[in-house]
Amino acid sequence: MFKYDYYRAETPDEVCEVLARYQGKARIVAGGTDIMVQIREKDKRWKELECLLDLSFLEDELRYIREEGDQIHIGALTTHTDLERSEVIKRWLPFLGKAASTVGSPQIRNRGTIGGSICNASPAADPLTPLIALDAWTVIRGRDGERVVTLKDFYTGQGKVGLKEDEFVKEFTVRKLPEGTVTGFAKLGRRKALAISRLNVSAALRLDEEGRIDFARIAPGCIFSTPDRVETAENILIGRKPSEELWREAGKAVSEEMIRRTGIRWSTEYKQPAVEAIVEDALTECCGSQFA
Amino acid sequence: MNQVKEENYNVIRRSKPRIDGVEKVSGRALYAADLYMEGMLYAGVLRSPYSSARVTRINTDKAKAIEGVEAVVTFADLRKTKSWAGYMYLTDRIRYAGDCVAMVAAKSKSLVEDALEAIEVEYEELPGVYTIDDALEEGAPLVHEEYEKNIFKDSLFHIRKGDIEKGFEQADVILEREYRTQYIEHSYIEPEAVLAYMDPNSGLMTVQASAQNPFFTRRYVSDILGIPLNKVRMIQAILGGTFGGKEEGIGLVTARAAYLSYQTKRPVKFVFSREDSFLESSKRHPFRLRYKIGATKEGKIVAFEGEQVDNGGAYNNQTQFMNWRANVHSSGPYEIENIKTDTYGVFTNNIHSGAMRGYSSPSLIFGQEQLIEELAEELGMDEVELRRINCLKDGSVTATGIPVEYVILQDVMDDTVERTDYIRKHAEYKQQPDTRFRKGIGLAICYRGCGLGAESPDASGCMMIVNEDGSVSIASGLAENGQGLKTAYAQIAAEALGVHYEDIQFPQLDSFAIADSGMTVASRGTVMGAQSVRKAGEKLKKVMIKNALELRSFSLEGTDLTYEQLTEEDIDLKDAVFFLKAHPEITVPFTSVTGACIWTGKQMAAYEWFMPEDLPQDHETGQGKAFPTFAYGCVIAEVEVDMRTGYVDLKKVTASHDVGRAINPALIKGQIYGGIVMGQGYGIMEDVAPKNGKVKNRNFDSYILPTSMDAPEMDVQIFESGDPAGTYGAKSIGEPATEAVAAAIANAVYNATGRRIRENPCDLETVLLGKKLR
Repeated sequence: MFKYDYYRAETPDEVCEVLARYQGKARIVAGGTDIMVQIREKDKRWKELECLLDLSFLEDELRYIREEGDQIHIGALTTHTDLERSEVIKRWLPFLGKAASTVGSPQIRNRGTIGGSICNASPAADPLTPLIALDAWTVIRGRDGERVVTLKDFYTGQGKVGLKEDEFVKEFTVRKLPEGTVTGFAKLGRRKALAISRLNVSAALRLDEEGRIDFARIAPGCIFSTPDRVETAENILIGRKPSEELWREAGKAVSEEMIRRTGIRWSTEYKQPAVEAIVEDALTECCGSQFA
Repeated sequence: MNQVKEENYNVIRRSKPRIDGVEKVSGRALYAADLYMEGMLYAGVLRSPYSSARVTRINTDKAKAIEGVEAVVTFADLRKTKSWAGYMYLTDRIRYAGDCVAMVAAKSKSLVEDALEAIEVEYEELPGVYTIDDALEEGAPLVHEEYEKNIFKDSLFHIRKGDIEKGFEQADVILEREYRTQYIEHSYIEPEAVLAYMDPNSGLMTVQASAQNPFFTRRYVSDILGIPLNKVRMIQAILGGTFGGKEEGIGLVTARAAYLSYQTKRPVKFVFSREDSFLESSKRHPFRLRYKIGATKEGKIVAFEGEQVDNGGAYNNQTQFMNWRANVHSSGPYEIENIKTDTYGVFTNNIHSGAMRGYSSPSLIFGQEQLIEELAEELGMDEVELRRINCLKDGSVTATGIPVEYVILQDVMDDTVERTDYIRKHAEYKQQPDTRFRKGIGLAICYRGCGLGAESPDASGCMMIVNEDGSVSIASGLAENGQGLKTAYAQIAAEALGVHYEDIQFPQLDSFAIADSGMTVASRGTVMGAQSVRKAGEKLKKVMIKNALELRSFSLEGTDLTYEQLTEEDIDLKDAVFFLKAHPEITVPFTSVTGACIWTGKQMAAYEWFMPEDLPQDHETGQGKAFPTFAYGCVIAEVEVDMRTGYVDLKKVTASHDVGRAINPALIKGQIYGGIVMGQGYGIMEDVAPKNGKVKNRNFDSYILPTSMDAPEMDVQIFESGDPAGTYGAKSIGEPATEAVAAAIANAVYNATGRRIRENPCDLETVLLGKKLR
């Protein structure tokens, strides 16, 4: 059984102080939906754990969804349920709300936070894909103040994020999607609820006056070692009109990118055709099934 | 309800509320894990991480030195015990990754974990064998030295009926197919739990355990302590599900807790974590089914040959009993003149297989009901028509050579086919365009021998006591497992005795209240186990009528009747009122008689034992009467398959079952709804999938069960058959409810996709790629 101290932080400064004091052996807990399970399973990542640092009481500082100019700020303690229900998210980033609504079960969504989901660094995290599609920034708070890094660069390797010993994630910032952009999120699990994604994809599109795509984002989850958009697939879409055939091309570009980056694995035989279908689903959701 | 003939009953055939319902839904019911005693210790076990190994050194010094650790016990301390399972409480010869080498008792759960971590064990790894095919390879490592080729001889059964060679000579079409099924977990909500303590007043080792078969569990306690059975008091705790899973396993857990309590002189509570439960509770046997079937071009099946091999895992956990049943059912619900089948289990270094709802049938039907459709296709025939031609009917002779009566299988099937518009849909879906989402409809029929049959004696006892106020207490040797046994028994007791259902009380089983009546298994509770309840009720009714007569309880004033003329035959008791059959207006309340009885010393209790007819069978040919009767059923599944991902969305299941007599229609429906979803898990997503013997899916985050969001629309039809064999004509339903679902799903997937899934389940990869991705 792992034994560790429990510390409840009263201020953001205190978070940094405690983190620094434990020199990398403290871990933040927010909703606890991942870390409590991992500790129970005696995950070797936490063998050296000396302190669980609870942020739950910093809701005033860290639980918010704010619209400011062309940006939206999402505090790290924002829960999946908050995202699912937020009018701001619904208005500006609907696929993030949808992705959050597919996480686990109502109980997990009520407790689990966006900060926890990102820092747990599972490649299957559902809200990760819209944030990657949005080129989100991560706002990181340390003893010396704040710094900002793109979410993509925040991931430093499979299951790893780049935080110094005294740092924690304060918020995610995204730019609103251009007016008129439509989004989609598609997910494949083994059942209809409480399903960890086998595959998931976020997509965003905008059509110009002639009905041609002039803005495209495609961010698949589960298939890369660190999350990323697939620009080759996005570029295929630009300047063309939506069609099933076009979605198919984009899907193929994603599966090709998957193989280029990770090689042929035992699961490729399945993932290759399936991810193409999920990409098509996400794109179809953007435009609806009717094409002009 | 579809019934053959109307009969008048006062209590049965009604959806009475569950006798234990309020306690359970209000949260008042205490399960074993909820029990607490002052000074209680907690227990845990240390398991081998290796699948095949020998312990070369074990050192418990550090664990024993921890403050608050009260007992550390290893296999070396339990040399004299024998266990009643195929495996031991603790062992130094490891045959699967889950075998226990030591156990501890400590003042807190975290101290238990500390103690287990402090035990030093060195293992010498040995070669292991994991699949049926590998186990049967020449020169494969032996799991048990005494079993050559890893074949569990005691589980070998045969059917030899007719002349198989002649049969195939008559066939115009012969088909050979192989089907495989997987390990699955029972997944009851409540993991194994027990509280054991020495009762200071009686000096009895008292155990309250989540035991499916309390008397069976009692044996383990007696064994591990080396004390007589009457020094153990077994009180069954309320069960949070079992489905066959809390048999051997809970015996071992209970015995371990009792031993630790005995050693420490303290109460010991032992509650399995979910991971412990996955690692130690038995699993459904995976089967390798090789079938060869021959039919004439007119569609008459003339020969059936089969080899049914199941993976028993590391230890024998009922494989012989289960294979006896598998043998009887090896050619499906069809009348076939020439049959030759062999059924046997093999040992491997996997988690042991054991009883699980269906007891081989879900696996067999998965193969058989696909085989019949493959045959239909080969014959160019309608698959429903092929079933009609060959399915069991009144007077048909079964695989074990016995004619059957009251067979409503074809009616049940035809009704279900019509109700679901199966014929039209099946034809239409076959021709559907090559779109991404395709619909499919699939059918499976089934039959199931009711109760234990010739597998073991289906005897049982019941004690029934009438109290002075007319209330009734009953005790039965069979136990409530969550299936509604107490409710059904209370209805049967009230019906037989002639009182109100609400007058019956039936608490948890206590080993001092009643005699061992065997196990609550094989869907035998109502069909056979309740025979003793009915018998006791009918006996006690006679006794009470005699009492009423002797006490001259009726007022005959103003009539021309006299007591000298009246006999017991003239009196009846119904709804807690005695009345004269010829003058129903002359009555006396049950309570007036009971009140008088107590002060006159009249008998007001009955104990009855039910012994079923003898069922002799020939071991070499399997010929002979196997079961008192069979229950029939038909399941139709409707699916939508995503052709791009292999996702099978189960839209609707229509399930029709011959229940003989519907004792409690609401509980029957509950059984069937649950059985459908359990069958859905088996057919679509559940797979323990051990890797080299190691169970990786140890909790419900990775072991995928259907959720309420996945449950299909369900249409349940209950049929009564008029067959008198079971208690009031009742038949089994607990297992029939789930056994044909996966087969119907597989047939629906074929209808949708044209892909025949011969290896269960129809998960994403199998449906998309046609093979398991492992």
